[in-house]
Amino acid sequence: MEKLLEMARKVCDRAEVYSNDYAYSPVSFENGKLHDIDTKFQSGVSLRIIKDNRLGFAYTRNLINREELLRNASDSLTGGVEAHYEFPFTQNPSQLDTYDSSIEDCSSTKMVEECARVCEILKSKTDAEISMTSFSYVETIRLMNTEGTDLSEKSSFYGIYGAAVYPGSASGIRRGYLDKRFRKMPDSVVHEMIELYNASSKVVEPSGGKMKAMFMPNSMYTLNWRILSGMSARSVYEKISPVAGKIGERIFSESLTIHDDPLDESHPEARAFDDEGVCCSPLTIVENGVLRSFYYDLNYAKKLNAKSTGHGFRTSRWGGDSVMLKPGPVLTHMRIKPGNSSFSEMVESIDRGIIIEGALGAHSGNIPNGDYSIGLNPGLYVEKGEIRGRVKDAMVAGNVYDTLKYIIHIGDTLHPAFSGEWLPPILFDNVSVALKK
Amino acid sequence: MFEKLRRIIGGVDADYADLRYEIKKDAVISFAGKELTQISSNSTDGYVLRFLKNGGMSSVVFTKETDAERAIRTAMENARLIARNLEKPVAFAQTEVVKENITPVLKEDPRQVSMAEKLELIRKYNDIPLGYEKIVTTSLTYQDLIREKYFLSTEGAEIREDLITTRVSGEIISKDGTLTQNVRVRAGGSNGFSAIRNQEENFEQRTKIALDLLGAKPVEAGVYDSILNQSLAGVFAHEAFGHFSEADIIESLPAMREKMKIGNTLGNEVLNITDNATLPDQVGFYKYDDEGTRVRPTQLMKNGVLTGRLHSRRTAAEFAEPITGHCVAEDYRYAPIIRMGTIFIEPDTHSLEDLAMMLGNGLYILDAKGGQTAGENFTFGAQYGHVVKNGEVGDMVRDINISGNLYKTLRTIVAVGNDLAFSKVGGCGKGQMNIRSCHGAPHILVKELVIGGV
Repeated sequence: MEKLLEMARKVCDRAEVYSNDYAYSPVSFENGKLHDIDTKFQSGVSLRIIKDNRLGFAYTRNLINREELLRNASDSLTGGVEAHYEFPFTQNPSQLDTYDSSIEDCSSTKMVEECARVCEILKSKTDAEISMTSFSYVETIRLMNTEGTDLSEKSSFYGIYGAAVYPGSASGIRRGYLDKRFRKMPDSVVHEMIELYNASSKVVEPSGGKMKAMFMPNSMYTLNWRILSGMSARSVYEKISPVAGKIGERIFSESLTIHDDPLDESHPEARAFDDEGVCCSPLTIVENGVLRSFYYDLNYAKKLNAKSTGHGFRTSRWGGDSVMLKPGPVLTHMRIKPGNSSFSEMVESIDRGIIIEGALGAHSGNIPNGDYSIGLNPGLYVEKGEIRGRVKDAMVAGNVYDTLKYIIHIGDTLHPAFSGEWLPPILFDNVSVALKK
Repeated sequence: MFEKLRRIIGGVDADYADLRYEIKKDAVISFAGKELTQISSNSTDGYVLRFLKNGGMSSVVFTKETDAERAIRTAMENARLIARNLEKPVAFAQTEVVKENITPVLKEDPRQVSMAEKLELIRKYNDIPLGYEKIVTTSLTYQDLIREKYFLSTEGAEIREDLITTRVSGEIISKDGTLTQNVRVRAGGSNGFSAIRNQEENFEQRTKIALDLLGAKPVEAGVYDSILNQSLAGVFAHEAFGHFSEADIIESLPAMREKMKIGNTLGNEVLNITDNATLPDQVGFYKYDDEGTRVRPTQLMKNGVLTGRLHSRRTAAEFAEPITGHCVAEDYRYAPIIRMGTIFIEPDTHSLEDLAMMLGNGLYILDAKGGQTAGENFTFGAQYGHVVKNGEVGDMVRDINISGNLYKTLRTIVAVGNDLAFSKVGGCGKGQMNIRSCHGAPHILVKELVIGGV
């Protein structure tokens, strides 16, 4: 990498080399039985060069041919992608506890035994078809630039996901558990799956209309994608953010506080610096319903005459291959401030409503505008404070800038959700639910 | 190259092993509004090893040649671990062992078109919507993607096949006051750069829809009889039915397997569905899948009765059904899984006007906007629609999302049109992306669709 950076320095004004090396080992169980073990050892190098405020970008897997990589980056300079930003000089970022060496002892055998253990419990307490995946992931990233920055971070990540599927449907109750090291799936998580599954095993056919709706951490990404689209520096720059110019204004229910905390070491995937070498720090996006900040990477910060908030990450909505992606503004460590209600208290408070355990089609519809319209996968119907069963052929629809004004309760516990987020369940009022009956 | 691959897996202690090496080259040009945000060409490569031992199968993906030994050791250990834990050993259905070198037939090779010319063309298309005041931005990406594949198995197969895909895809975003609307625009194919040329009219049409949507009313949530256009009906064939024809989806779901038995009547008798990846010039075209099996046209449904499904060698053995050649990977970063090639609803005799008369009152909904399936439930969006009254297509409506149940919906497709059309750009994200999975359909008439609205 040093050599590549030296070579790049000679042909451009500024350069950055990013490398990523990981080992991913998942084991998966289907219908309660071991089915696959598909391991990945992947590496790659990504190069950004800037000359006359124009960007060149290229990547490769094997840094065998540095000349070719540099040539590809130089060729792409000629296209004229504007880049007026500087790479940062970053020294001594926060030292975070991101790697637990015991992950190296997390063998496939150990993960197979753990999946088998959880499968057995779920099988003995439900009539569900059980699928499980457990994985270990060790990643090293390194980032160097011509300003003198040379940073690296090694992290470990262990996870287990289970699904109790209603027979014949492939829809079911899903729960996950994440850590920096191997841990047994907590009993509380397994019991919650059993309870929810058994309470919803019957299909019910209530009528639709406006009612209460609880988004669970598993389905909250439906709302988050829309919220975060509006608060991204990119959307502001492209003039498609409905909340551009609304900093300091109340846009959501005052019970809602959204922040981003990349330094939170209590969970895996903490980051001391972003994929552009800018130091990460906590950022409040929405405080008591009031819009406080957008989030920026270097590129959009420069365009909008702001400072990067340390949110330049090489990922996309569906994740993606960091080596192949240019950094863009992404909020990777979102947290919603927990409320005071337990999940069961929230359920008890519902006269008539839906619990959205999983969402289908969250990526379709008009995301910049905040519109959502999702299938329920599954949706649990609640009447008089009790789960009565699950609904089929149901959709929930609305606009986040409307829905988030009507928060009744926020759950008191954060759960791991889609890609690095830790979120509570949230109960909303007045949500449109379409049902076949 | 085959010599090198043979050296890597030559002496392995496996009942069966295969090794796929791929060089993947791509050229990308992206615009966000007026601004060029990316222009790059890259070349990457890597290996996928699959290993079968004592009935246990595992795979390892690696990028560094120096990791080959570690990969083989890991694959072997994992295959043995699986074998010890399996009730029923994994077996592979027989396939012919082939040595063949396949070069795609192209109408203009994208590798021979300069980056400058590609940039000029894409900029010209991008400028079409941006010439209108109420189009606030676009996002547009051109991509040509070349997979140079080398497949070698311990059975003796040596297959060299190139897949070359070109595509332009993006969104046109219109805004009026606080209302923003987005419409997708697509062009592309598997048969060369010519599929990207002469798209001016396509961009003009999509722009007009984005502008018209600003004056459309949101659809009211409810249950509607509806006509789906080709794009939407194709997505339905893919999302709501096709995935259950993929044997690996239902393999470990006993109740689902029972419902999806060959010979079961699942759909209305007007419904015929086929996957045919051998159709030339369609995005889904290929000759051999990523386990060296030649792909076969496979009828999945005939007059509403289930007649076949898509298989890998593993699932064909498990289900005791014929191999079909549908085990495909995104690229060198993935072991192959079962994927649709070119799935389509076969045409019948009705014109669109016939269908509108049969519909009477309801909705005419058009153009897919993302879809997702989980089990028997599916959800997908439509880019726009029209209210139909007494067989007359009327006002435009927006914000249309459809949700439904596979089994119910297959029975409520009551009429099929005569105007089969295929998607020009593929894409299916079943764990890995497959940009060569495409779909087709004529217009179809469906009873009682649940529409979410906003």
